[in-house]
Amino acid sequence: MIDVQDVSKKYGDFTALHTVDLKIKKGEFIAVLGPSGCGKTTLLKLLAGFMGPTEGSIAMDGMQVATAKKVVPPEKRNIGMVFQSFALWPHMSVADHVKFPLEYHPNRKKGSKAELESRVQEVLGLVGLETFAKRYPSELSGGQKQRVALARAIAPLPNLLLMDEPFSALDVELRMEMRKEIQKLHKETGASIVFVTHDQSEALAIADKIVVMNAGRIEQIAPPEVIYTRPETPFVASFVGKCNLVEGQWKTEGFVPDGDAKSVWPDLGVARSFKANGICPVRPEQLQLALAGNAGLQGQVSFVQYQGNEIHYTVEVDGTMWTVHEPVYAPRFHVGDAVSVSLKTAVLQERELTAVLK
Amino acid sequence: MMVKQQAIGERKKGLPSFSLFFQNKNFYKGIGLLAVFLLFLLPVLRLVWLSFVNKSGLTLHYYQQVLQEAATWVTVQNTLIVVLGSTLLALALGVSFSWIVAYVEVSGKRAMQLFIFLPFIIPSYITTLAWTQFFSGSGPVAALLAMLPGNLEVPNLYSIGGIILLLGLSHYPLVYLFTVNVFRKIPRDLEEAAATSGLSKKQAFRKVVLPLALPGIASGGLIAFLSNLDNFGIPAFLGTPSNIRVLSTYIYEQVVGFGPEAFSRAAVLSVLLGVIALFGTLLQWFLLRRSRVTETARSDSEPRIFLKPAKRRVLEVSLWAFLLVTSVMPLMAMAALSLISAYGVPFTLENLSLKNYEHVFLIDAKPAAALANSLKLALVTMAICLILGTMLAYLRFKYPDWSTKTAELFITIPYALPGTVFALCMIFMWMEPVPGWNPGIYGTVLILFIAYTTRFLVLQIRGSHTAFLQIDPSMEEAARIAGARGWTKWRRILLPLLFPGILGGALLVFLMALTELTVSSLLWSSGSETVGVVIFSYEQAGYSTYSTAFSTILVLGILLGGALYMGLGKLWDRKVLKAK
Repeated sequence: MIDVQDVSKKYGDFTALHTVDLKIKKGEFIAVLGPSGCGKTTLLKLLAGFMGPTEGSIAMDGMQVATAKKVVPPEKRNIGMVFQSFALWPHMSVADHVKFPLEYHPNRKKGSKAELESRVQEVLGLVGLETFAKRYPSELSGGQKQRVALARAIAPLPNLLLMDEPFSALDVELRMEMRKEIQKLHKETGASIVFVTHDQSEALAIADKIVVMNAGRIEQIAPPEVIYTRPETPFVASFVGKCNLVEGQWKTEGFVPDGDAKSVWPDLGVARSFKANGICPVRPEQLQLALAGNAGLQGQVSFVQYQGNEIHYTVEVDGTMWTVHEPVYAPRFHVGDAVSVSLKTAVLQERELTAVLK
Repeated sequence: MMVKQQAIGERKKGLPSFSLFFQNKNFYKGIGLLAVFLLFLLPVLRLVWLSFVNKSGLTLHYYQQVLQEAATWVTVQNTLIVVLGSTLLALALGVSFSWIVAYVEVSGKRAMQLFIFLPFIIPSYITTLAWTQFFSGSGPVAALLAMLPGNLEVPNLYSIGGIILLLGLSHYPLVYLFTVNVFRKIPRDLEEAAATSGLSKKQAFRKVVLPLALPGIASGGLIAFLSNLDNFGIPAFLGTPSNIRVLSTYIYEQVVGFGPEAFSRAAVLSVLLGVIALFGTLLQWFLLRRSRVTETARSDSEPRIFLKPAKRRVLEVSLWAFLLVTSVMPLMAMAALSLISAYGVPFTLENLSLKNYEHVFLIDAKPAAALANSLKLALVTMAICLILGTMLAYLRFKYPDWSTKTAELFITIPYALPGTVFALCMIFMWMEPVPGWNPGIYGTVLILFIAYTTRFLVLQIRGSHTAFLQIDPSMEEAARIAGARGWTKWRRILLPLLFPGILGGALLVFLMALTELTVSSLLWSSGSETVGVVIFSYEQAGYSTYSTAFSTILVLGILLGGALYMGLGKLWDRKVLKAK
């Protein structure tokens, strides 16, 4: 159980974190998602103990580890960490990397040499590196380095695992594979994980809960599906769901977009803050295109991008750009075509879906 | 990167709740800076002060006197001719070599680099000694010229031209060192972009490569300029016999001349030399500021220009011929002279003997004592610099604020000053550290320890600082996360990674201290002779066979040490870093 209470972090005049509140349950997998410079790395460094907060406090397992006055250093916290650049020590073999925290980590178990060796083998088995024990970092591929970094972090069975964009140095296919690997390790070790990333699809795919951050503040904390389908702030809506923020009026029967008084879009659980501002967040895949003159808002296609499984259209409607994703099997449109934009009828199913999530 | 800068910002600011601790920190900073000021900058200020005072108070008397003498202006003119000529030579050689090594496909580049660095690790006075034997009346060059038709004479090295030649040959490795990585870091695609824009190879070189390399070339040239200005050994060995003086030897003559106003006159000349040097340093600093752009680019060691086999052969042969003739042959000539029984007899089997070595190491007690002195000096200086320098480098790395930057600047000054000027500073500082109190440091070996440490400390700081910079901060962070604290973290993670860089700096300090001539020639006293001083005095007394014997042993020792260091480095890379 980790409790971050009203934590602020200032660098001179610049505030990197504004009174952040966050609770992490035992065994929870949390993804911290946000653009670069949003304060996510600062939050991670505070959790690790590389620096202390300017205000507020952090408690771990019921013990206060950081306040503005006193900071328990990383070497005394029960944590593991996977670094963005892996941070493997060039002069140590794979087995040495795993053995190192078993010798020094605050959570290490006293045991005989044989027990230590068998634990090293066990951890290497967990990440599939048994046969690489004697290799050195310079003799490993990117994916293998990543596994060593993971093995070193989980070896002493820390309560909290911190991961700082651990996949950003890997290519796309390896990333997919490592996502599964981490989910597997999460199940097997039972540690809480805080996973920092700027990749929204990565966060949606692996975490139990997503913390979306922007400009040093937490925008929303919720499970992936809720973050995606029920964004609470314009930032979450556009950063995670790539939503079009459509302006219009909220009436009792639903949303009436500006420019088409005949359309009424049903309320799919839009947050109150949007309603108050007369905005409806609509994701690109919730929209469909039809020939001009059909029901809906009228616009003109500005860009067409073929994606293989989908076609991404950018449509100019009343001077604003809308993004619409259509399946490849839907009727095609070309740049310059006049089109009408409307809500897909299938979207109504989402009402039931989100009701389940509530 | 962002985070690192922020963290630095955090350190600078300190936390309000730590105000007491913070004040303390400022207190320590102040004490540290004061100590650095007293030890490294004050001696220089005292020298300048001394040039302005006599018994009755402030005066410009010495300046008037020195500046009115014709000899001063002849010396300044010689200095400028020698320094500019040798800098141009060093630039031409250094830039050519660095461009070829960085750009052209020739085999044996690694071996070539070793030979380029040879004149750099062998003290210039020994190189000079070797060259004088190489060009002597009974040397190999004379023999070769005698075989050729026509009455060709061996060029006289004891001339301005000879001084320029040797200074240029001794200092072109510096230019090479500064420019080779600049050439390598010029992104290949910039030239490719020039080619696709329709520029020929020659045009691309003129319009793209040269402008990008210019800052590196300029700073290499200024370093060569400063080294040429600072050098004492070469003009002392070649200029003194033929009455050619440059500022560094002229200052030396003033001091050892012991006139009533010797020190004050020397101080005035030092200020003159210092002003020229300072001007160069400022210019270099200014140019280095502008050359930062290239620092982020990746170094690319793959060749970019491929020659036809025949052309390539010719180039390789001429490069090697140059390297062998300039760096190895003179040393061979020196070794040969050391093996003959008397100066002037031909190099034949019956004239060979180890008599000179016998004299140097068994009969004359001085060389062995000097070797012991120099070794002791070098070891102690290295040890002090290793510990102090690495600690200061860590502070500089951990707290890169104004205080550590200022400290580094102060510590650089004794190294940047010409050796004769620095030696004078040491005399004025330690003869009476506090006016009226003479603790008897000057005149004993103690002043040499102090002078060497003061002069060479910056080399260790630079070496260790570079080593710290090369370790990614996440190495240390990963160790802390894994639970390693304090000494464990240093012993198991940081020191093994830092070791090669720190050792490189330490060996440089050792080598510089072991073969030092300029500073010790002014600071030595009976019983505290150094290797350089003994070779210099042999040479001045005309005992060339003895000085060559002693120098030969020294060169062998340096080469052996260098080979050992390189071997160790390779072993370290293979065993510890597992680099392929």
